[in-house]
Amino acid sequence: MKIKKTKSLEANIPTASMADIAFLLIVFFMISTVFQVDKTQVRLPKSSETTREDVVKGSAFVVVTKDGVIKVSDGQEDSRLVNPEEVVINAAAWMNKNPSQPIVIKADAEAEYGKVEDVVDALREAGATNLKFLTDAEKGGGS
Amino acid sequence: MKLNRKEENPEIPTASMADIAFLLIVFFMLTTVFSTNKGVEHLLPPQEDIPENVDNEESIYIQIFPSGQFQIDRKPYTIEDADEVYNYVMSKVQQNAQKPIIIHTNREAKYGDMMIILSEVKRVGKDLKANLAITLPSREERQRYDQFQGSL
Repeated sequence: MKIKKTKSLEANIPTASMADIAFLLIVFFMISTVFQVDKTQVRLPKSSETTREDVVKGSAFVVVTKDGVIKVSDGQEDSRLVNPEEVVINAAAWMNKNPSQPIVIKADAEAEYGKVEDVVDALREAGATNLKFLTDAEKGGGS
Repeated sequence: MKLNRKEENPEIPTASMADIAFLLIVFFMLTTVFSTNKGVEHLLPPQEDIPENVDNEESIYIQIFPSGQFQIDRKPYTIEDADEVYNYVMSKVQQNAQKPIIIHTNREAKYGDMMIILSEVKRVGKDLKANLAITLPSREERQRYDQFQGSL
């Protein structure tokens, strides 16, 4: 009887699709993570590390630039320019959706406090309670 | 019978290594962006329970001026002495943690100056692990303070 010669199979893991999987994951992370709804360049005020707390994901943003230009974002969409009087309308809409919506105030350290005060007043009027003033870490300072 | 066994040299596929590495890089880049997003928390009082009559109590009154100077209970300082805020508030609050702290900032003052003061006061709260009653007066309240000061 003739024994059939066993064909030697080369063992290998198919890796052709690996790159595709990797790219898929990258795209997934890029789309699913909500990061930086606002890209306005401002010079943030500094505060000591102990006072700084993490910004909750999905927080609404109100941006005040050095020149008093105001931008808002509900935390999902990119920030857009608004008139100072429109802050209260926007904030009321956020509070309507989620009464405990955290709101982040990103204001330039050189901005006039009056502009920020108007924003805080508008948020107060809209019924917001949870505010955060975005800051940078203080270098070497604080305890 | 002679067995013809082909020698196989074991090998770990490394072609995808670069992809995995890139994936990790992207992941870490995203997470580090999050951790730098931090801010000073400030809770506004809920609107429903505005007490009509508050007991007259001595509060800590900090006033900030456009010139970069500020006053704590009418004692003037410049913004470089912000550490004084910490010491003063700490000494007062240790006796009564619920002492109201009013940060009255002039409209023309710099937001950065106000944040320096606010962050010092917040630091007291963090160090004492207490919720301090910090007030950023609204416009009406501020006007009332201004009138009150004018009458002095």
